Amino acid sequence: MTNPAPQISSAAAPFRRDPANVMRLARMGAGHPTRLSFLRVLLRRIETEGWQCDRPVWQVDDKGVGHAVYRVQGPGCCYSLVAFAHDLPDDMRSDRVIATAWDATFTLFDGDPTPADIDRLRANVPFQEAGRITPRELTLARANRSVRLFAHVVDALSQGRQPDEAEIAAVGYLMRTTAVYGSGKFGASDRARIATRAELNGPFQVEMLTVWLIRAFTVDIVEHMARLNGGARAIRLDPALRRSLGVGNSTGLGMAPFVVRHPTLLNNWTIAREEALARVRAQPGATQQAIADLHSALDAAILNARAWHSDHPVQIPRLADLRRDLALVKATLPGWDWTAPTPWDALWHWGEAHLSLEGQEALLSLVLEPHGALIDDLAQTMGADEEVSFRLNGAMRVSELHAILQQHYAWALAIDFDLPENIARFWYVSEEKLEPRLGERAREDGGSLEQPLCIARLASLLAASLEGLDGDTPVATLLLAHPDHRFMVRRAQMAATHPYAEIRDNLIGIDMLPIDMMRCKLAFFGADRFDPRSDRWIRISLFQGAAFPDEIVLGPRA
Amino acid sequence: MTQQPSDQTRGDSTAFFSGDQSAQMSQNEVTALCLKAARGAGMSWGLAEEAGFAASWLTARGIDGPRHLLSHLTAAQGRAWGDLCPKVAPGAWQAATGKTLCPVVLGATLSDHATLPGGLTSGAILTGPVDHPILLCPFLSVIAEAAGGIVTLEWDGRRLDIDANGATSPAAFAALEGQTAVALRLSIRPGLAVHHPQTPSPAIAANTVTALNAFALRTTVPASDASRAGAGAASNDND
Repeated sequence: MTNPAPQISSAAAPFRRDPANVMRLARMGAGHPTRLSFLRVLLRRIETEGWQCDRPVWQVDDKGVGHAVYRVQGPGCCYSLVAFAHDLPDDMRSDRVIATAWDATFTLFDGDPTPADIDRLRANVPFQEAGRITPRELTLARANRSVRLFAHVVDALSQGRQPDEAEIAAVGYLMRTTAVYGSGKFGASDRARIATRAELNGPFQVEMLTVWLIRAFTVDIVEHMARLNGGARAIRLDPALRRSLGVGNSTGLGMAPFVVRHPTLLNNWTIAREEALARVRAQPGATQQAIADLHSALDAAILNARAWHSDHPVQIPRLADLRRDLALVKATLPGWDWTAPTPWDALWHWGEAHLSLEGQEALLSLVLEPHGALIDDLAQTMGADEEVSFRLNGAMRVSELHAILQQHYAWALAIDFDLPENIARFWYVSEEKLEPRLGERAREDGGSLEQPLCIARLASLLAASLEGLDGDTPVATLLLAHPDHRFMVRRAQMAATHPYAEIRDNLIGIDMLPIDMMRCKLAFFGADRFDPRSDRWIRISLFQGAAFPDEIVLGPRA
Repeated sequence: MTQQPSDQTRGDSTAFFSGDQSAQMSQNEVTALCLKAARGAGMSWGLAEEAGFAASWLTARGIDGPRHLLSHLTAAQGRAWGDLCPKVAPGAWQAATGKTLCPVVLGATLSDHATLPGGLTSGAILTGPVDHPILLCPFLSVIAEAAGGIVTLEWDGRRLDIDANGATSPAAFAALEGQTAVALRLSIRPGLAVHHPQTPSPAIAANTVTALNAFALRTTVPASDASRAGAGAASNDND
């Protein structure tokens, strides 16, 4: 596996944002998708390379039960989504990871499956966690219908009319995934086995490909049901309406720990985005094309913010901020002095002074948009070989470790962990469901079984153990006396070379919002219209507005 | 592995092995399960990560790492840190109390000290008896890679060379598999790593997975009404 270091141009380095600013939870929780988001990276490759997409198998009966195969073929690669359609009673439909039955189940097969493969997969994939897949499979996923929209669209199409645009806009998807597993889960291929392939080297490319093909299935199955109900009267979904549909996703607490457990990945995702912003800000001027593209991106963002709906008390004011901020950008851009030195940097500084966090992070996404030629190469740097940073350096002196803590964890050392509000929560795994959960330390048992996600506190405890030690003492000696610090020492040594690896907030504090951790990750995926349903689960949609497999033609799109 | 659909209520990848079945596990699954089991058996999180690494490294080289780790954890659980860890002294590493050494702790400590005085690159080391020394090999390979050399492990008149890619003689590797509580002589010499033929990963027996899961379960918290509330979408999501 490769572990490319992001290309750091010396010209752009002074324009890079400080990790102390970038890695705060409130800002991470205001993240927006950018052209470096993983689904955009996938679609760019598919469109640029002109992948061939087809549906060689559609065996779905008059109850909507059966299977289908969606195949994509790029230069030297072939992948197939095997989709199983089920007849699920309404009362069994739940979005929890721990559900037991779904409207549809999927696996991404490495190559072109034979009928024997399909038979094997049929005996396992519909059972999800209770089944077993093999290294020939790259992902395992399932999805449930949006009952209201699905029924409305089937009904309309079967009667020969297009569904109501407002109904489609209100939901945005026909089905939502409730889990997309990759990376060796349930016997699937380990990432290490496939990560050397150019098309899969970036993060989450198999998962994004899976969801993109699921999106095609959601429309095909709705049109199938409409034909069954309406016969000759039934029509197909209007292409523009179809484009507006994404794939929904419900993300619960289980996803939040990922960005803590994979610090080198978080660093590499973030530093690529930050380098992209720095390159844009470092430009000495702006082309007419870039300015026009910025205006287009802004208009799209304004429309998107208008369509974005949430009833959650955290997101309602944030959405109001975003809409106001985008209007302010719209009002400001026509008079912008693009002839001034580094006009993009000036625009960025203006944004920092005038926009909310939502607006600033949206502006980041907007200024990256016209600059594909300048920044798209950074997508190749966003993966990480986590084995490389696993081995800790026992020969490091305690004085050096101390310096690392002072430089990279000062934010953590400043927290007083004797105050109850700073240790109010604890992360744990539930015995019942083996799911990550967040407990209240004062009211719930289980604090002694805390997961090591309380990084600030672990850093603080490590720093306390260093006090009074001879600075020349090797870390190896410290670890022999304090094996409990091994986890944090490894992490601190890694952070020394990965400045964007840590969320610089107290993850067990009383006011911590897990949805901020989720949104950060989901924005890197390319999700949009984040809709928190509580402080610990969130609805999103993926691929809204993107091309469908049958629309792919050779050559880059705008 | 397929069980009743009604069983599939766990957010875990390996809970459904049962009876006398065995199955291939991905490296990711081996690492995750062994990390949790080692933590459940009492290792610190950082050492539990080393246990996961070691089991996965062995599995990738055709050795049933999870089974050996299970044997070790079963024997070592509950023992005090001072009983498991070596006292670092030039040429001879023993447990302070004279008990058998934990191979994961010994391996991590050898790795930490590799280039320090008393470490492997400054001279051969005689160890006290080591539990399941096959679990030490992954760490010796890491040391060999970092030093650009070959580590030799000797016991009872046998020897095994380990380089950055793995063990160089399958027969000696297999002979070490059955050993436990043996004293070792470790040394390192300059040498280039050789290419090792790919070895298929072994199928992992259901009873190994079940027993490791039982250790892993000790890291989990029993459900309460408070914990169930708000963990995700508590309501029906038909919209």
